[in-house]
Amino acid sequence: MNAEATREIYWNIGHVWVMYALLVPTLAAAGYGVYRHISRWRQGLPVACFDRPAERIRRVLTHAILQARTARDAYAGWFHRFIFFGFIVLVIATTVVALDADLGMHIMHGAFYLYFQSFVVDVFGALVLVGVAMAAARRFVARPKPLVYTDEAAGILAAILVIVVTGFLLEGWRIAATHDPWAAWSPVGNLAGRASAMVMTGDAMRLAHRVMWWFHLVLSFGFIAWLPYTKMMHVITAPLNIYTASLSPIGASLRNIDFESSAAFGVNSLQGFTWKDLLDLDACTECGRCTASCPANIVGKELSPRDLILQLRQLMHERPREAFGVPANGDGQPAGGETHAGLPLIGMLPALSPESLWQCTTCAACMSACPVFIHQMPKIVDLRRHLVMEEADFPASMQEAVMSLEKRGHPFSGTQASRLDWADGLNVRHIKDASDAAVLLWVGCAGALLERNQKITRATAQLLQAAGVNFAILGRDEKCCGDPARRIGNEFLFETLAKDNIAKFKQHAVNKIVTACPHCFNTLRHEYAHFGGSFEVYHHTEYLARLVDEGRLKPAAGGRKVAYHDPCYLGRHNGIYDAPRQLVQIASREVIEFERCKGSSFCCGGGGGMSFIEEPPDKRVNQERAREALATGADVVAVACPFCTTMMEDGINARKGDRDVRVMDVSELLLQAVQPGTSAPTSAP
Amino acid sequence: MNILVCLKQILDPEVPARDFHIDPAQREAERGAANLVTNIFCENALETALQFRERSGDARITALSYGPATAEETLRKALAMKADAAALVVNDGNPNPHPLTVARVLASAIRRLGQFDLIMLGREAGDWGAGQTGALLAEELGVPCVAFADSIERAGGHLRIRRQTEWGWEIVEAQMPVVVTITNDEHNVPRIPKVRDVMMSYRQLLTKWNASELGVDAGDGYYDVTDLFIPQKETRCEFAAGDTEEERAGAFAKRLAELTSTL
Amino acid sequence: MKDIAIILFASSGFDKAAQGLTGAARRLADEAGAKLRAIVVGATETVAEVARIADTVVVAGQPEMADYQPELCLNALTQICREISPAAVLLSNDTYSQEIAPRLAHRLAGSAVGDGIEIRMQGDTVRVVRQVYGGKAQAVLEMKRSPAVVWLRARAFAPAPARAAAGEIAGAVLDLKPDQRTRIVERKREETGEARLEDARVIVAGGRGVGSRDAFAAELQPLAEILGAQMAASRAACDAGWAPATWQVGQTGKKVAPDLYVAIGISGASQHMAGISEAKNVAAINTDAEAPIFKHCRFGIVGDYRKILPLVRQKLAAVAK
Repeated sequence: MNAEATREIYWNIGHVWVMYALLVPTLAAAGYGVYRHISRWRQGLPVACFDRPAERIRRVLTHAILQARTARDAYAGWFHRFIFFGFIVLVIATTVVALDADLGMHIMHGAFYLYFQSFVVDVFGALVLVGVAMAAARRFVARPKPLVYTDEAAGILAAILVIVVTGFLLEGWRIAATHDPWAAWSPVGNLAGRASAMVMTGDAMRLAHRVMWWFHLVLSFGFIAWLPYTKMMHVITAPLNIYTASLSPIGASLRNIDFESSAAFGVNSLQGFTWKDLLDLDACTECGRCTASCPANIVGKELSPRDLILQLRQLMHERPREAFGVPANGDGQPAGGETHAGLPLIGMLPALSPESLWQCTTCAACMSACPVFIHQMPKIVDLRRHLVMEEADFPASMQEAVMSLEKRGHPFSGTQASRLDWADGLNVRHIKDASDAAVLLWVGCAGALLERNQKITRATAQLLQAAGVNFAILGRDEKCCGDPARRIGNEFLFETLAKDNIAKFKQHAVNKIVTACPHCFNTLRHEYAHFGGSFEVYHHTEYLARLVDEGRLKPAAGGRKVAYHDPCYLGRHNGIYDAPRQLVQIASREVIEFERCKGSSFCCGGGGGMSFIEEPPDKRVNQERAREALATGADVVAVACPFCTTMMEDGINARKGDRDVRVMDVSELLLQAVQPGTSAPTSAP
Repeated sequence: MNILVCLKQILDPEVPARDFHIDPAQREAERGAANLVTNIFCENALETALQFRERSGDARITALSYGPATAEETLRKALAMKADAAALVVNDGNPNPHPLTVARVLASAIRRLGQFDLIMLGREAGDWGAGQTGALLAEELGVPCVAFADSIERAGGHLRIRRQTEWGWEIVEAQMPVVVTITNDEHNVPRIPKVRDVMMSYRQLLTKWNASELGVDAGDGYYDVTDLFIPQKETRCEFAAGDTEEERAGAFAKRLAELTSTL
Repeated sequence: MKDIAIILFASSGFDKAAQGLTGAARRLADEAGAKLRAIVVGATETVAEVARIADTVVVAGQPEMADYQPELCLNALTQICREISPAAVLLSNDTYSQEIAPRLAHRLAGSAVGDGIEIRMQGDTVRVVRQVYGGKAQAVLEMKRSPAVVWLRARAFAPAPARAAAGEIAGAVLDLKPDQRTRIVERKREETGEARLEDARVIVAGGRGVGSRDAFAAELQPLAEILGAQMAASRAACDAGWAPATWQVGQTGKKVAPDLYVAIGISGASQHMAGISEAKNVAAINTDAEAPIFKHCRFGIVGDYRKILPLVRQKLAAVAK
């Protein structure tokens, strides 16, 4: 190992000062580019996202450095890592050169030079080329649908390719022309040098090197200057976005509105977004995974979370002054006298058409798929809020549900069912007669008023009774938790319902709540705290699993093939995957996973107010999931959510033909296992 | 043009039968867990008035209610739907006044509120459903009445009113002032107010009187409710039996055929 | 004993409603030991038929009375009733009668009540039974002023037998001042030629569960054709624009009394049931086994009408052969 191993920096190059001179406009341009982004984010409303730094840093390491989500697509994950780590190594190498050349720190020599600066750098440079080749193959040959095909994207790949290839050529010509003794330590450069030597003389290589060096420099500086004006900006915005992303579970992603002081209810101009929302837009890498995982989009509807984000971003960049209008001061009040709200978004941007906005089930597959933690779904809800609360313009069937919520405290307009129908013969106590009750069983509107779901409520109550749990209900005093109102966009009505329910909980000194509905569960657990209601809330699968663990329920093994469908609001929104599986496992002979399960579970199509919408017959989200369900070959599809129950039954009954496939709630399966001889519920044929 | 719309707050008529109970002593329905809502035909009337104003450009709409103090909610909702003004006559007497008393109280309030060209009410209320208030109000005010209308248009100096009949519809030309009672139609489903308007409605002034202040002669009676009961009627339904849907449909069809063949 | 009066509009003919009205009034008059005085608006053959049941008939046969105009008609009837000074004035539940009854009561200083399903005379007091609270309850009302102006659910009452000899028929002497404050300028009949829904023997009705206007035409109408039935709808379906308002049956729609009422996608809310309380047999198709409609049914089937009706129509067609 020769301690003198090194190379002459700037060999063959004169007028190096020009490089330093060029650095000025480069950094100026790049700096201005970054500044433009920041100036746009600063026009957003304030929001706090810097608490709990240790967790945030951990996230950045996992998702920005190790790129865990990007790697869910193995092919893309690898080529991105190649390019990413390749560039990191190249940047380190350049820094080493700068430290040596400009700061006089004599480090670029010896073993370090050979192992790192020569070998590692060559290998990683080659990996960049492999990565670019893989990316190019996907972009130009395979052409998968979710990708965004722009000249800019092609240009970026081309630029990287040319920079790295010219870099290797430079290295090769230097190695060949100087008869570099350590050539073998730079395998790729060596190869390039040897190949060139076959067709070029030493002088030719020297000339080529000199010219190419400046070309490579200008291209590289140009690339740096260009970076903030392209999607490459994600090298800065993605880690920043991942760092500032909300640490709450997905179920707690919607923001609250202060009705007294807000200038606008909901969002219909960029002015209504927070700076974090705007950063979201700039973090987008145009990967298209959100749209690729969106159940509405998959069944052929026009909703596209990717396009929503990109069109908002384009507007923010191209027409910022008009789009933002009069800048808002800290609380969202317009500054000064004139109120100019900024360009209205809905209907103006094609991806923000009202039709698209009313196709979202709020399943958050988009948020979960996004490698850089963009919050697409909450923006859709923000836009819905404008339509519902400022314009009162939303689909008629949703209007009926909202009016029913206002008048009757439930969304099922026209029902003749009473909230106590399910409890006939069960000897269930009202909480006012049961101050010693350990837990409140929150039935929910579906569980009380829909015939099929009444059976599930009964099953849950019977299990609690079998386990000797001292529980009570609110009976007729229960009002809708407010989830449908909130997801449809009527935040005002949601607040009214929430406050009503919280007052009742407090009146009866409730602190522990069990519910069979993941939407109620999510709302009670996360969304009531803002109004002063903090309770211990359990989903019935969690609670029943605990009862089984404690031996208070003794289920016998079951005998059927069961496929478990993860409800979005239990799984993706709240990370509860195991408790229901534990129960299904016990109660069946074989548990089958859906192909799209757990975090990637495919929505049943019922959330976000969608169960109150009539979808076109050829574009139904539940039909797609039903197809998947039937493909599992299971006899029973287990669900844990009333919307899923309805949607899956409808979908499966429509497609199953002669097969005997049933949809059962986890509690019904468990009840059969605990009390063999209980007949299976009949779902309408 | 001045329009007055009368609105009544009632117990939710869609309370399921299981939750509906009578107080036999008071001879009226028990409140129970039922919510208070605005009578749907009154809302149809307000919606018709709002559409009239949108089409004819110039009209001021006043909402009026005679009922318990809670009827203020009904008037706030009317203001949220963009009625221009609202007045409440709080019933501090018999909680279930008969139609003639109601008509006299409304007439008295209307005279105090000003001159109106068009007075609109729902055809009947979802609780007692007497269907007389509009007609009696017209008599009290000495003006004509057109019943079961579903839309109104301006036609020069008078009104063109479309009203439903059992065999179709009629167009009535009416001079003003006139009382019109409104029935439901696919076009007068009440609009949802904007949330901002709902919030603003609480800040608007409401004219309020106690009924006793109006000095209305309730008269010596109109009719008495001597009995109120829930009739017990149970039929056992025979559900079509069969293992397949085809079998069941066949059984159902058979019964249909049996019943119609004898006609 | 003061007389019992009835008001009929001759333009409707002596239809089932007129028969029911005269029947109810005849029995009431007999019960009270009073005379039955019929008032017929418009001069047609109806007069002769009514004269064989009532004791006397007053005909408002002036040319101005041929087509109903509210103010004029009310004026005329007020004059006639003042002359007769009856204990009670009974009317049918057609549009015109409902419109003028309360106003007539007011002008006569009497009291009005509507949608009566039973009427009795107890001494001098008229007692009427009617449905209230959207059909969930029944009330018995004692009329406090005279005359009691009562419009009845006429088709629910049985007709009275006609006598051989007719009662006295006289023309009304009226002082009719023109009153053009309201004028009916256009009348549109939507039911063409068929029997009226209220007289139909078989009815096929659709509700919220049907889902669209097309479904009414494609699924329910063919069933109605096979059964020889008339079409009807619940208020929810009419408000949604799936069926015309003339099809609406319920508390605020038509009151029907068919031998068979087939309810499809109708939950059975009391307001709807209030319109079919006189139906002899109700059959229903509904996806919800707990729907209240089944509590009023003779037979029913739980399921999706979209699947069931084609099968039912098929079977019916086969039976017909």
